[in-house]
Amino acid sequence: MSDHANEHEHPNYVKTWGWLVVLLMISVAGPMLGIKVVTLITAFGIALVKALLVARNFMHVNVEPKFIGAVLVTTLSLMVLMFFLVAPDVMKHEGQRWINLSAAVPAPAPETAEEPPPEALFDAEATFQTICASCHGQSGKGDGIAAAALPVKPANFASPEFWETRDRESVLKVIREGGAAVGKDPLMAAYGGIYDEQQTEALADYVLSLKP
Amino acid sequence: MRPIATTRTAAGLPTSRLAVWWVIVSEIVIFGGVLVSYLMHRLGHSEWSDYAANTNMWFGAFNTLVLLSSSLSAVLAHQAASKGDGQLACKLLWLTILGALLFLLVKSVEWTMEISHGFTITANAFWSFYYTAAGLHAFHVLAGAVIMIFVANAAARGEELQRVEAVGIYWHFVDIVWIFLFPLLYIAK
Repeated sequence: MSDHANEHEHPNYVKTWGWLVVLLMISVAGPMLGIKVVTLITAFGIALVKALLVARNFMHVNVEPKFIGAVLVTTLSLMVLMFFLVAPDVMKHEGQRWINLSAAVPAPAPETAEEPPPEALFDAEATFQTICASCHGQSGKGDGIAAAALPVKPANFASPEFWETRDRESVLKVIREGGAAVGKDPLMAAYGGIYDEQQTEALADYVLSLKP
Repeated sequence: MRPIATTRTAAGLPTSRLAVWWVIVSEIVIFGGVLVSYLMHRLGHSEWSDYAANTNMWFGAFNTLVLLSSSLSAVLAHQAASKGDGQLACKLLWLTILGALLFLLVKSVEWTMEISHGFTITANAFWSFYYTAAGLHAFHVLAGAVIMIFVANAAARGEELQRVEAVGIYWHFVDIVWIFLFPLLYIAK
């Protein structure tokens, strides 16, 4: 490869490609052992080695002026900076004086062609306990763990006065459209897009069952 | 007269190469933002590994092999161009373009299968990231292939041979992005 006049010696490109393929095979074989640490090392450790090989032997980054490397490292470090600045907001699901509503709502399962989600799986009580209870409390008294931090206290379903002005329809409306739709606190989110009509009715019936 | 892009050296390297490095620096910020956001959400949601279990590692592995091989033909095209052999550079660039088309073909078969199983971009946040990151990357593959058509045809006439190296550097960067997308989307489950 060095038989022609040039400013630098070329790496053996075919040999480099051979090494890249060997590394690819290792990263594919890694998960077959079923050991998580090995999978992570063969996946991401090898990805790093492959990337460095491509950058050095194919892109010739090492023969460029030093400032090219410096600019590349600068932008790469912006990625690391972004991770540590944003991660506390994204990765922390609970804290004091705030509630992460989107983290509390489980993502709907993808609708697969082979196995449509059976309707019977919806458990209104379990859903109430995981989603609603954080504010409304496990027995619906408006005393959930997040309630203390809320400026407007959540509804107490165990109070007879509460039910003087509500019926099944109004409960359904709040679950579907959120608190703001009935002139109540907007922190009560709208769940119409998350639960279908049948599920919303099951939830409303569960709330009605808490009536004293 | 030699083109400006090969001769102006105030920065210590040909302007065409400087320009490509500048493109890559901004691309790092674009892909970096997507990948870092994905990583945070992935680490913050253990249930995402169940969604990731539905990606097919063999599609990803095969496409990695295709891109690595197309990087080899791209760097060999650069070598041919630096020796002044525009004809060979053109052929090797077309080989690289074929690699890009094969990559996109495999990708479209893979996506068709996934979408028909209900794993669409709106299924959940994992699949949103999956299609955004891989789609943005596939768009770069397509753009690279189109650029290489022009560079290859000029190279066959012995023109603008410095562009063979420039488009090659871009192509290797697209390869590197995939090298990281592969474990992030296909291996870590």
